[in-house]
Amino acid sequence: MNQQPDGEVLLSAGIDIGTSTTKMIFSRLTLVNTAGATHVPRIEIVDKEIIYKSPIYRTPLKSDTVIDMDAVLSIVEQEYQKAGLKPEEIRTGAVIITGETATKHNAQELLHLLSEKAGQFVVATAGPDLEGIIAAKGSGAYQYALRTGKVVANIDIGGGTANIAVYKGKKLCGTCTLHIGGRLIRFEEGVITHLSPPVVRLAQQHGWPLARGDRFSQERIRQVARAMVSTLANVLEGRVEEQDRPLLLGHPPDWQVDVEAIMFSGGVSECIYRKELDSNSTPYGDMGSILAEEIASSRQLKKWEWVTPTETVRATVLGAGTQTTEISGATIQVDESALPQKNIPVYHVDLAQLNEGEETIREAVKRAIQIYDPNREGQNFALYLARLPLLSFSQVHDLAQWVVEAYRLQPNQADPIIIIVENDFAKVVGQTLKMIQEQRGVVCIDQINVEHGDYVDIGHQLASGVVPVVVKTLAFHS
Amino acid sequence: MDSALIAHITRLVLEKLEHHPGQSPSTASAGPTASSSDHKMVKIWDHLSDRPHIINGAERNEERWSFRDVGSDNTGEPRVEDILPPLETKPGVDQPQHADALVALRASTPARIGVGRAGPRPKTETWLRFRLDHAAAVDAVYGEVLPELLEKHNLFTVKTMARSKDEYIRRPDLGRRLSEEAKRVLRERCLFQPQVQIIVSDGLSAEAVIKNFEDTYLSLVQSLQQLGLKQGTPFFIERGRVAVMDDVGEVLQPEVVVLLIGERPGLVSAESLSAYLCYKPRRGTVEADRMVVSNIHKGGIPPVEAGAYLGQVVQKILTYQASGVALVQKEH
Repeated sequence: MNQQPDGEVLLSAGIDIGTSTTKMIFSRLTLVNTAGATHVPRIEIVDKEIIYKSPIYRTPLKSDTVIDMDAVLSIVEQEYQKAGLKPEEIRTGAVIITGETATKHNAQELLHLLSEKAGQFVVATAGPDLEGIIAAKGSGAYQYALRTGKVVANIDIGGGTANIAVYKGKKLCGTCTLHIGGRLIRFEEGVITHLSPPVVRLAQQHGWPLARGDRFSQERIRQVARAMVSTLANVLEGRVEEQDRPLLLGHPPDWQVDVEAIMFSGGVSECIYRKELDSNSTPYGDMGSILAEEIASSRQLKKWEWVTPTETVRATVLGAGTQTTEISGATIQVDESALPQKNIPVYHVDLAQLNEGEETIREAVKRAIQIYDPNREGQNFALYLARLPLLSFSQVHDLAQWVVEAYRLQPNQADPIIIIVENDFAKVVGQTLKMIQEQRGVVCIDQINVEHGDYVDIGHQLASGVVPVVVKTLAFHS
Repeated sequence: MDSALIAHITRLVLEKLEHHPGQSPSTASAGPTASSSDHKMVKIWDHLSDRPHIINGAERNEERWSFRDVGSDNTGEPRVEDILPPLETKPGVDQPQHADALVALRASTPARIGVGRAGPRPKTETWLRFRLDHAAAVDAVYGEVLPELLEKHNLFTVKTMARSKDEYIRRPDLGRRLSEEAKRVLRERCLFQPQVQIIVSDGLSAEAVIKNFEDTYLSLVQSLQQLGLKQGTPFFIERGRVAVMDDVGEVLQPEVVVLLIGERPGLVSAESLSAYLCYKPRRGTVEADRMVVSNIHKGGIPPVEAGAYLGQVVQKILTYQASGVALVQKEH
């Protein structure tokens, strides 16, 4: 075997700005050629080592609707210093804004600012589905599903939302997000100081008297927590009843399988699995610990196997820092000057019927322009060429010709042609694209799994010839 | 056991046989065999009839196959996939406890795993496929590269010192030496001291060259063009071994040799092509200085992709003026 002892090392950063807490991690990803010496290289991430974990900070807010950007930036700067790292050294990773924080007015701005400042290729991510997916990979639920082949639901409960992702083996079966979180009700000195709108709606629906300024009543809050747990159980079964609607954020559960095992991560899970918790104390000044108790004692939730996570409160940041980067195939064709590419939407083209390829590709490009560039402002996209048969050299030429012609429809002819090939053909397709046209750059990569409608970021080429790719699943597609 | 009982049983068995169409050689064309209806997906050979044909239990009708109309490629030979259904779709284990896990395991390797068993033996389909793959491997060794293929790409043929296939197999050393005639032809017809010399040889699998040479070669030539590298006059060596490139190196003195050669067939693939590369091969070149990109076939790296990648490897060899272990050392 050609196992070079000194594989290429990639430093990765993960930053999670959640409803209640902000945390960071740095990790070291080791890339090694795992193919035999006589084979075409296959570069894989073989080791992920966490080299630094930040403490857990309270997310700094200026008001209920505005994040304190300066304070967040100074936390990030301070953590880089403590870890002894410079942003230039960070080659990959992701910033994620999660839960209710994502709805703040300046969330987008902060996200992009951080992704610029945090390193060479730190990707901005957001969206409740993606949060659930990243948390499931950070908590160990994905790995458990992979190992056992079981259907595992990871429920990441933070301050504002519960993000559920269901995996069967390595396959993502679905996601769902609920307004269930530790900080939806907050209180100070025996008085309720904050009620989140979904909780108000829930209380109205049930006719519970609950308002800001009310005296703190454990019974009242427990009632709310119980309703949340019941909704959670229904959703895990794949159904949504009338009383569950106020807590649903976005689409209903979309997995078509029966969940076998459940795992909790996120801040509230810390209280679920920490057994020594004193039931009378409310140390966070919010409903988190009561919610945790109700989850832990729920009969409804007992019907599933409970699996202990490997990471609780840091699951999302861990997922963002270690699980978001994928590595392309080793035989690819990319113009280094065209990289990195950020936020490129992916349009899926099924080429199983190659004889109709010319038409299929032209239609795909037309549709992609309509969807992603309706005003013809030049938003680029990537074609994902799926299910190609084994190509002969002349078929490669036909394919490249079809692509080049279809791409002439794009309003901005200065942007590179970005192609992702499902099968191992990127090098020859890319070379041929360059052969038959010279004015546009070419980024042609393969062996990345992307779904229709995903967004990808493609980083600079590494020494081993591969490029790091972060796939951002914005919604689940069945 | 008394003899009357034995006679009785024998009579019963004989009656049963007689009443079964398809079980006796004379009725081979009459319909499906009894066993075929039990194994709905499995096509089995009726080995008793003279001409090979297949009984398809699933469709309950008979298809006659001959070697001539089965093959869809140039050779006219039947392809394995035409005769037996692909194994990937049907794990042989009848009632797997974890069907999904079994599928995943089977997808992870071309080896014959999860094929099930009939008592202590492999199932008929598994066994037939094994026999077929073995036969394909033998055929590949004794096959010939089609002259039309070589003509199409303007490749002329030279020979090694192995005078026959048998001698080639028994005497590897003769496959590593060009005949005097071959050297003379090369001096006459080839560009001297080219940057890149591409050679093709049947090696141990003519089938590998037939199936994969064209796409690998065209893609490699395109890649060299794009990288601005110049190739010499390509040609075909009949009955060559890898080290025959050393003789070519002596005669033509190229900077880099790329030898596309059929690999020793195995039970997974009988049509695997390899590309051996070497910086300035000469007599006495050690094996550590050669590089190889193997497994070029439809189940490995696609030939077109391999060709595109080879151009990049050639460029690297030229940059470092070294190949094999020496290249790795210079790189670090």
